[in-house]
Amino acid sequence: MMDPILVTNNVLDGLLMGLLYSLVALGLALIFGVMDIINFAHGDFVMIGAYTAWLLAMAFWVDPSVTAIITVPLFFIIGIGIYKLVIEPVLGAEPLIQIAVTVGLGYVFQNIALALWHAEPKSFPAPWLNFSISAGGITLSVAKLIAGGISIISLYLIHYMLTKTKFGLAVRATSANREVAPLMGINVKKVYAITFGIGTALTALGAALYMSWGQTNPYLGQSFSLLSWVIVAMGGLGGVIGVLYSGLIVGVLEALGSTFITPSARLAVVYLAFFLLLWFRPRGLFARR
Amino acid sequence: MTRKFRKALSKAATVSIIVIIIIAVAAGIAYYYYQSAAPAPTATTTTSTISSPSPTQTTTSTAATKPKISVIKIGLIEPLTGSHAVFGQEAKEAAELAVDVINNELGGIKSLGGAKLQLIVQDSGESPDNARLAAEKLISQYHPNIVIGAYISRLTAAVAEVTERSHTILFMDGLVDDLTQHGWKYVFRAAPKASAHGKSAVDFIIDMAKKKGIKVKTAIVLNEDSVFGTYVGNGATLELVKNGIKVLDHITYPYDISDVSSIINKIKSEKPDVVISVPYFHDAVLIAKAIKSQGIHLMFIAGAGGCGYTDPDSIKAAGDAVLYYTQTYSFNPFRPTKWDQKLVSMFKEKYGKIPTEAGGIILYTMFTIYAGLEKAGQMYPNDPLNPDNLRNVFLSLDLTDNNSIAGQLYPTGHIKFLPNGDNEYAGTAILQVQRINGTLQPVLVWPEPQPGVQPVFPRPDWTPSG
Repeated sequence: MMDPILVTNNVLDGLLMGLLYSLVALGLALIFGVMDIINFAHGDFVMIGAYTAWLLAMAFWVDPSVTAIITVPLFFIIGIGIYKLVIEPVLGAEPLIQIAVTVGLGYVFQNIALALWHAEPKSFPAPWLNFSISAGGITLSVAKLIAGGISIISLYLIHYMLTKTKFGLAVRATSANREVAPLMGINVKKVYAITFGIGTALTALGAALYMSWGQTNPYLGQSFSLLSWVIVAMGGLGGVIGVLYSGLIVGVLEALGSTFITPSARLAVVYLAFFLLLWFRPRGLFARR
Repeated sequence: MTRKFRKALSKAATVSIIVIIIIAVAAGIAYYYYQSAAPAPTATTTTSTISSPSPTQTTTSTAATKPKISVIKIGLIEPLTGSHAVFGQEAKEAAELAVDVINNELGGIKSLGGAKLQLIVQDSGESPDNARLAAEKLISQYHPNIVIGAYISRLTAAVAEVTERSHTILFMDGLVDDLTQHGWKYVFRAAPKASAHGKSAVDFIIDMAKKKGIKVKTAIVLNEDSVFGTYVGNGATLELVKNGIKVLDHITYPYDISDVSSIINKIKSEKPDVVISVPYFHDAVLIAKAIKSQGIHLMFIAGAGGCGYTDPDSIKAAGDAVLYYTQTYSFNPFRPTKWDQKLVSMFKEKYGKIPTEAGGIILYTMFTIYAGLEKAGQMYPNDPLNPDNLRNVFLSLDLTDNNSIAGQLYPTGHIKFLPNGDNEYAGTAILQVQRINGTLQPVLVWPEPQPGVQPVFPRPDWTPSG
């Protein structure tokens, strides 16, 4: 009989991780929803973001989560730069070319990281937030609680931007119909560039929060990439709400898989649930008609 | 018209591509068979010029004279990219250092006329298929006399299949037990096998508990789920059971896990006396930080398996979260022997850190090869690099602190190969992270602590109630 406190604790941890996954996956969902490009380098942006957070944390001896103040705007600009240099030239090209470009970008990032920082794990050795709070036998990491809180606020802000602002309207219009949007006076390329910048900035935010308790290495991005794709597909491009719920589902499934089977099976549980979901709702949980 | 033309063009292009692919595959197969059919790259004493001489040697034209060997090629296949690159890169660094010392300081292989070692490095990547291709490329293009590789056991097995087929001596730095149980003839492994690491971690705890008059009743075994991790974990479990310690749980997880909360919650819930943890590298940092964050105070946390908690890079990354953690190693960077200290300080000077598991194994492997080659020149002066002769030479070695550099580098000070290629005197050393003069450092604590050091057991923050 599994200890109910352990199960509750693990589910709560799963929810907190799910919020972080949602934050990272939202960037992928935005880019895919607006530009119809699957960014296979998305997880590698998280990895580079994690290294940047680590470098800044070590330089200024602050908790990595604090470095988001610098990394988020920095990655917004980097994102726009990469969009202009790498993504824009292949917009409208064959999907295979787009895939090759973003996969290649990921490999470039991995090899840059390997060359600069080698394969050893990097982590901030004295994070301020590496302690927990306990109540009723449940123990939760303060760093994860803060990460979860910031993730929710960020998701809300993106949701607000998409639904209540003029730029959000332009993003939704571009997403709905890329051909008609320019006829309505929308500068589609500008929308693309800013969207890619926001998507990249979200990876930097997720990475900075994760580094409060985590570590980075050149291959950190792989697990974030895999989970982000599942979350986006599971959400069915249902906007921020779809990504949020899908992220939470993935986080909890991981936790339940780890608790009741084995941590080795956690991804298998996530994918099995994903396949089952696709069987019943092939367009995802929150697909728009 | 245009559409028809395009269609025809596309058809022609498709056919051309298929033809090119078929030709390329056929050429590849033909080349492979041509290379496989070539004679083994050993020195010979035939009276005529060899039809396919190894590029490593030049041969004189008379049967009575010794072959003149100027270069001996050592192939090194390691994971230089991918998630195991941390090990492969250090192995490469160690091999380069050893070759440099052998060639320049020791004057090459004296019994072979001062022949120099030439290191040829190949990247095994992350998959057995890549490792196999790397081995095939290495053997067909460079004809190495001896190959070393490939740290990760599944990659090592893939390399061994190729080296065995071509009768090339392979020194394995992969530790999974069954690598030496395939009946392969040309494989050797100086390092202790995986299960010995798990056993050592438990033996250390039992030894320490006995000395301190503490009873260890329960344990959790925690291992990453690769074949290696499983062997080490199973070795620990067997030893725990053998010593009457109850194993509350045996948890496995993927080494690239990004969140270990569920594992740490389980440890907290089950309250074991000790945890035997078999991490890779990245997971060790996560586990140590999570245990610290959760405020779990166990009697002891012992790492097994050659990397994880006490590596300099882990200490840098995890800080005092790894304080008092131990780790079993196939290499002892603190052995008080002349050559151990010399090579460790050379390594540190050259690469800015002490050699750990991956580099250490390569160091004593390279000097075992050095000793073997010296002996081959004496035992088989006319055909020293023939793989069967080399095999006999390595089986006849009995290296100790007194007669070899390799012995001085080895944790037990003794290397003697069994017929299956394993070292009869294999053993591990245990390092512990301690704060020395305010700095976190790995120190040797077992089987014999280094001078001025005492093992810290149990953990000072241990509360018997958990």
